[in-house]
Amino acid sequence: MAPRANGIGVQVEDTKICVVMVGLPARGKSFIAQKELTPTRSPAQRYLQWLSIDAQTFNVGNYRRTEAPHPSADFFDLGNAEGEKRRRAAAEAAMHDMLDWFRQGGVIGILDATNSTKERRKWVLDTCTKEGIEVLFVESKCDDESMIMANIRDVKLTSPDYAGQDPEQAAQDFRARIKNYEKVYKSLDEDGDENDYTYLKIMDVGSQVIINRIRDYLQSRVVYYLMNLHIRPRSVWLSRHGESLYNLDGRIGGDADLSTRGHQYAQKLPELVRDSVGEDRPLTVWTSTLKRTISTARFLPENYNQLQWKALDELDAGVCDGMTYQEIKDVYPEDFVQRDEDKYNYRYRGGESYRDVVIRLEPIIMELERSEDIIIVTHQAILRCIYAYFMKKDQSASPWMNVPLHTLIKLTPRAYGTEEQRFSADIPAVSTWRGKGSTAKHENPMADTTSI
Amino acid sequence: MSDKVSASESPQPSPAQPTATCMASSGTAEGDASRAHSRRYGTGDSHSYLHRQVHFGDICTESTNADGNSTAEIAANAPRYRRKSSTFIDGIHDVTADSDMAPAQLYSTMSGRLFHSGRIAIVMVGLPARGKTHICVSMARYLQCRRGRRRAGRLLFPNASPASVMLRQKILKKCREDIYAWLNHDNGQVAIYDAVNPTASGRLSLAKEFAKHDVQTLFLESYVDDENLLRENARNVKINSPDFEGMDPDEAAKLYLRRIEMKIPIFETMTENELNYIKMINAGSKFFYNNVSFNYLSHRIVFYLTNTHIKSRTTFFVRAGVATEEESFKADAPLSEEGHSYARIMCDTILSHREQEREFLKEQGGPDVPLRPLSVWTSTRMRTLQTAEPFTERGYKVRQRSQMAQINPGVCEKLSERAIRRLYPDEVEKHELDPYHHRYPRAESYHDLAVRLEPIILELEREQNDLLIIAHESVLRVLYAYLMHCSTTAIPTLKFPRNEIIEIIPAAYQNEAKRILIPGLDPRIVPSSPEGVRISVPGESPALFPGGGLSSPPETALEGLTISPAGSAPSLVTSPPPQKIVSTSKEAVEDKLLDQD
Repeated sequence: MAPRANGIGVQVEDTKICVVMVGLPARGKSFIAQKELTPTRSPAQRYLQWLSIDAQTFNVGNYRRTEAPHPSADFFDLGNAEGEKRRRAAAEAAMHDMLDWFRQGGVIGILDATNSTKERRKWVLDTCTKEGIEVLFVESKCDDESMIMANIRDVKLTSPDYAGQDPEQAAQDFRARIKNYEKVYKSLDEDGDENDYTYLKIMDVGSQVIINRIRDYLQSRVVYYLMNLHIRPRSVWLSRHGESLYNLDGRIGGDADLSTRGHQYAQKLPELVRDSVGEDRPLTVWTSTLKRTISTARFLPENYNQLQWKALDELDAGVCDGMTYQEIKDVYPEDFVQRDEDKYNYRYRGGESYRDVVIRLEPIIMELERSEDIIIVTHQAILRCIYAYFMKKDQSASPWMNVPLHTLIKLTPRAYGTEEQRFSADIPAVSTWRGKGSTAKHENPMADTTSI
Repeated sequence: MSDKVSASESPQPSPAQPTATCMASSGTAEGDASRAHSRRYGTGDSHSYLHRQVHFGDICTESTNADGNSTAEIAANAPRYRRKSSTFIDGIHDVTADSDMAPAQLYSTMSGRLFHSGRIAIVMVGLPARGKTHICVSMARYLQCRRGRRRAGRLLFPNASPASVMLRQKILKKCREDIYAWLNHDNGQVAIYDAVNPTASGRLSLAKEFAKHDVQTLFLESYVDDENLLRENARNVKINSPDFEGMDPDEAAKLYLRRIEMKIPIFETMTENELNYIKMINAGSKFFYNNVSFNYLSHRIVFYLTNTHIKSRTTFFVRAGVATEEESFKADAPLSEEGHSYARIMCDTILSHREQEREFLKEQGGPDVPLRPLSVWTSTRMRTLQTAEPFTERGYKVRQRSQMAQINPGVCEKLSERAIRRLYPDEVEKHELDPYHHRYPRAESYHDLAVRLEPIILELEREQNDLLIIAHESVLRVLYAYLMHCSTTAIPTLKFPRNEIIEIIPAAYQNEAKRILIPGLDPRIVPSSPEGVRISVPGESPALFPGGGLSSPPETALEGLTISPAGSAPSLVTSPPPQKIVSTSKEAVEDKLLDQD
């Protein structure tokens, strides 16, 4: 048994679920699918993958696009036999790849397409059921014309279909394309004969919701996650605590006070935040329960609501808490090597691994998804995990990312990825980044180090 | 206060809050604090305003000194930080006047309320025999709130004569007054109002009235159109009433359903667009939400309800075996020789117990059905993993859950009680005041542990197999308290001696707990006190860290691993566990039966 790693066994779900998106274009479907994963093969790290639940999106549009990169609206006309044939072929190709992927151990596959007819849905259901895969339909239904057009302008025009085209013409073309779908569109269970399906139907961006026949915990979790998503624009601000006395010594863990420069950062933070918020809108501040984050956040404006989360405490280094890396190497040489070999899964003796941290952060992510503007002041390992969630960083890379002290990061989730801005406080601090195998007290990140 | 909220105004999704903490106020002066507070919660009456002022009484320090030495000091001196008692609990919340809070009360503030939701009345809608009470009981357990007494429910006749309308209004008024009293004076947040509420107009005016008192209303309708389900409900619950004694169950069910129809001839299912409601159709096979998409509480409720099922399956709790380094949390030590032998005996006992139960049922004339599959959950700690090994060897499915690791003792690791007293006298004092919420430096409180275990609770509700949980005593305490509806004050003192398997059998309204003896164990590893002393927090007192209160047992308690004398908390250690425990929700059933007609 390898007690220090817990790669296997934590997340054993026997279920396989195909999440089938249903709905007309520009109803926020891709946004939902996108949240869980990026299209195609990128080793994405959104929610499910971030939680080590193997998930993959199969976007039928992408299969179709390889055939017809910039189709005009009449391609989507049902009268257009050629278009219909190609779309069918794309759906089959996507399904084929998805089933292959399930056979290799995939857990949640997301089939992102309009799936707007009962026949198509039945075909998906039957095909999956035959393979022992549960099907969860997720429909986003919206009849508000102004909302649709707003969605088209905001989201769709960044779609690869319209790269380099005139925006207004593109919007009109897209609206025409939707009209073609509308002709055949049947909402889920509209006629009452899809009552046996497991589905989630979100109407008019959540003003009404139907949840039908949820069968297991994993499904309910996906549904809960989707319901907590909101499509209103907002941002998340991230900062480490100011430089601490332990940072100066190159020690890990502990509950040390801030250094003098750390206090300077605390004083400067309100200004940094105000500048990046750009207006006088109050944020909510989340800190850990450790001194250094609470101290760092203490000068933020009075009208900012402030919360402490135990779950935001630094990764627990167990027996190594309070040691320098040199000391760890001296006292626990095997552990030192093991950790560098698989930093994500290595669990400190009596402490935690990055994987453990991700599990304990899940409720935080849920809260983040349903919250408005939040600033989080927390610790290096925790920030790596949160950042990895938003920026889809790989598990093998995220524990090695450089997270500079005295820097405020602003993340703004958008439909096709998350925007990032950084604000440096220009207050010097030691580097707490460490390369593989190194025991240096402080070293500068290498040129090729991913930096948050 | 002029905060008037109209019925249709949907609750503000205020900036999230959660688990750990909330600062409920801004401003440094007392008045500011209370004002900000009432602004947030939209206070509607002066009494509650005063009430909160009382609570904010001793917490306002102006100091912004940041160079304090302890986390507590820093936090306490942070300008926005306010707390109402001397118990430092990092702002999760202080103990409310009503300390009867179960572990799943996760999201309270220092006023004891959910941070972002203000005050909420959950109003049940649905004819009798639709499982409303079952929903109420389990929701109350999960949210740990108070059910509005439902005396009035029965009297809701839509076509009543003037006299009875008067009566109805009087009783309803009384009922609602109870709810306001709870929300305002007892610092309550969620009240559940369990009645039939059959008409749309009645529901609209109810929502209006609650809004006048600054209480948001969330309707929860249980709608059943599946005849089988209806009859099943009627059979299970209603026919225990003396009225139906001696009748054929099916007949009784039919009669009962007919009576309902006569008594409540008009029932309008919810379609009111302007109200916030959740409609639960056929016991959870379908949910319909209206207007509540950004309301945190309703999401949680649905998430919870989608995971509950009434299917009867058993949950077993056992302790992990004894480890080689019992006293250290950080060491994460493997099992000792005794530990391994315990694991084998425990495994045999459980498996043969299940077999016996099955035989017994068969003898009683029950059907000869195969045993339900058994899943085993452990934490990721060594000793629980190794305790599960005999099950793995026999092919049972063992799953690890990192959330189920034992409570973290923080600085108390390996310290004796005397040492803790010497090093952290202030912390000890705070701990004694509130053993459930108090957190030693860098340690976890029981509240932290309960928050961490929440995903496990949901998964536990969903699990369809019989389930064996092998965990540390601290984890068992929290899970047990959830299933059996124990108060938070009791949690740190619940006892799980190693020679007992706890079997929890669900029933419609109350879970039942049985203790099964594991025979042939070395008596030295049996008592539950070592848990307190040796494993979780190595003070000498069984009660110091995980337990409540500080007792001072003699040093010798450490030596032989025998039951330590209980010192100041005798009941905690010495009281033998009852053979059968019925949770407090039993009251709900009685209430139900009394209300029958």
